[in-house]
Amino acid sequence: MKKFVLKCSLYVALLLLVLELLVRVFHLYTEDPPRFIDDLGVEKRVPNSTGYAVTGNRNQNFSEFRINSFGFNSFREFHPSIDEKEIALIGDSFIEGFHQDYDRSTGKKMEVLLGESVAVYEYGYAGYDLANQLYLTKAYEADFEAVDYIIFYLDYPTDLERSEYVPNKDRITLLSSRMFKIRDQIKLLAYTSRIGLVDPIKRLALGIRDRNKQNPSIKVDSVKLRTRYQKNFEKLLSSYPIDKSKTAFLLNSKTTDKEFLAHCRRKNIQYIDFGKVFEHSQTAPTLIYDQHWNDHGRDLVAQAIVDHLKAQAPHLLNK
Amino acid sequence: MLFNSIEFLIFLPLSFVLYWFLLNRNLKLQNLLLVVLSYLFYGWWDWRFLSLIFLSTFVDYLVGQKIHRAQDRERKRWLWVSIGFNIGLLGVFKYFDFFVVSLIDALAFAGYEVTQPWMLHVLLPVGISFYTFQTLSYSLDVSRKALAPTKDFIAFAAYVSFFPQLVAGPIERAASLLPQILQKRRFSYQQGAQGAKLILWGFFKKVAIADSLAPIVDDIFVNYHSYSSPTLFMGAFFFGFQIYADFSGYSDIAIGTAKLFGIELRSNFKFPYLSRSVAEFWRRWHISLSTWFRDYLYIPLGGSKLNSRTTIRNIFIIFLVSGFWHGANWTFIVWGGIHALLFVPLFLTGTNRNYLHGTVAEKSALPTFREFVQISITFTAVTLTWIFFRAESIAHALAYLKRLFALHPYQGYNHPLGYRMVDYFILLSLFMGYEFIIRKDERSPFKFKSRYLRFGLYALVLLAILLFYDDRIDRSFIYFQF
Repeated sequence: MKKFVLKCSLYVALLLLVLELLVRVFHLYTEDPPRFIDDLGVEKRVPNSTGYAVTGNRNQNFSEFRINSFGFNSFREFHPSIDEKEIALIGDSFIEGFHQDYDRSTGKKMEVLLGESVAVYEYGYAGYDLANQLYLTKAYEADFEAVDYIIFYLDYPTDLERSEYVPNKDRITLLSSRMFKIRDQIKLLAYTSRIGLVDPIKRLALGIRDRNKQNPSIKVDSVKLRTRYQKNFEKLLSSYPIDKSKTAFLLNSKTTDKEFLAHCRRKNIQYIDFGKVFEHSQTAPTLIYDQHWNDHGRDLVAQAIVDHLKAQAPHLLNK
Repeated sequence: MLFNSIEFLIFLPLSFVLYWFLLNRNLKLQNLLLVVLSYLFYGWWDWRFLSLIFLSTFVDYLVGQKIHRAQDRERKRWLWVSIGFNIGLLGVFKYFDFFVVSLIDALAFAGYEVTQPWMLHVLLPVGISFYTFQTLSYSLDVSRKALAPTKDFIAFAAYVSFFPQLVAGPIERAASLLPQILQKRRFSYQQGAQGAKLILWGFFKKVAIADSLAPIVDDIFVNYHSYSSPTLFMGAFFFGFQIYADFSGYSDIAIGTAKLFGIELRSNFKFPYLSRSVAEFWRRWHISLSTWFRDYLYIPLGGSKLNSRTTIRNIFIIFLVSGFWHGANWTFIVWGGIHALLFVPLFLTGTNRNYLHGTVAEKSALPTFREFVQISITFTAVTLTWIFFRAESIAHALAYLKRLFALHPYQGYNHPLGYRMVDYFILLSLFMGYEFIIRKDERSPFKFKSRYLRFGLYALVLLAILLFYDDRIDRSFIYFQF
């Protein structure tokens, strides 16, 4: 019995070591560049790092990221100036774009479509809502004043859940905690955690049984909620005013409340709708295992933005 | 409780410690612990149905005593009590609604319409087909005087409810399992190590193969009308491996777990896809069920000892009943019937008892060309019959087959969850190749002399589990529904 228990323990330990090695060799784990809150209270990635983001198991999606000196995943550095033509694309993980190589981002595609006469700065950060995005432009007001056009990616209604910006210190503290650091160092744990293998253990530890799990669903047709989102939107715009002549919201009209769109039109707030082109696309614009845009989706989004710019900001296209 | 759940991951080592470290000196307490653990294991799913297991245990324990003491006629009467009770349980919980629906269909065919039929709509208790057959075999063996009934109710309850094989077999015989429960058990390193290896192999089959193929199979069978013939064949082919890996994986985990508790269970699968004929397939597939039907139905009906006509009738009876055992659906009956049709020519040509012993390529590294052709034909035939097994209805199976044989040209197939399809072909090729290598001993999947090779294989198997695991997939075992 003693021999059995000892040998089993030894084998388990050795196998875990070998698996750790294999997970590292095949780079099955994903890298999540560390986050922080800068002196101006903006959530960012720690600048100047490169790595690979992996989605799913068996390297289902494997892409390279590059965090620039400003703290965002981009193929270029951000140096806004009045002399150059620049567009800022601000948003959450869709703009951050860890699902494709950083040099095949939506911003890069826009630059190609615009004849590379305009620089596109992508301020994407997984977890950003509209409050984060607007606060960023306020915190770096001088930079964004120099930028010729600003596009906010608005995922309705999730990006309108709050009406004021408060830095998410809890998340940063949690992600910087020793437990998370250990998890990130043990790649086997990071990988198994990513593919959901340790979820049952987590659920058990938290005392949450599967059967009690409920998906919170947001009823966009509810008048009360609709009013709340609109109020949040208004309050954010009053706290962090935008220059309507050089600002647009990138959104999917198919998932956005019609009343909200009408409200934007009434207030002369520009929006770029990529929902229609997505709907008519013959090829899927999103990844199969993930709802983020795939390469084709990014092409469509880039084209929709460029079409909008041609109509609303033709000066940007003139060399 | 599922073997592939976090609860079982905690349950197993705790049970092991209690069993060997705390109660190993007292057999009665150890057996009582087995009963408690088994009831906990089952009750985790739905405690209400524990009453059925207890009732089945109680009735057959009592019947066993009565049969033993009774004379011929009364003996038969008590045996019918057991048969009536166990088949009655199955009839009520598994088949009642099916019979009602079939009767309504028959009446509708005759021109009578039943608008408000009386149906039970009860939940099928997990494992009912397994434990009822297990208790029934006890009464039948006692009645044949092949076994003396036990007076130890706790030991008998442990035999009926022994958790590793309670819900999906192997269906044990009292003559083999009960004496092990009644005897003092000693931990053996060899047995424990074999058990741990079988558990690992079973998990690999379940998680890496069965579960990973499930979304593809589900997608193809549901949307068969939009897929080409090669894709439909792939769907049937993958289902063949899904059900094999799922069920034999369960059996391996069950046998391995039982070994950890010092108990040997019978083998349930012996590489059935390496069979050279359908007759051999049935000696290698779900062995505990096919031998049950052989011993308690086929042989009492006269087996093959009588004339050819009676034997053919008996062959059809056991295959049809075996199909029906799987579920209350005509698809299973047709599936059994097709296997009978495949078996009868072998009987008529006297080749059904070929390959009783040994395996393919018994004394060589590779199969002969003849063996290869035989295996391919058997495998293809079995794969096509699986379509009936998997289909929702006869109409579904026929439409699937019709489209399959319409020979639509190949169109690419995309995995419903976005994975690379080539991964699955590589995985199955490696799996089939490995099964061929280990074909001589189904109970020792890692029987290699080199310790390093064995260790490398454990690591590979675990890596495959990590690579093919997907938390979006339903992880329950297919045979739970039977």
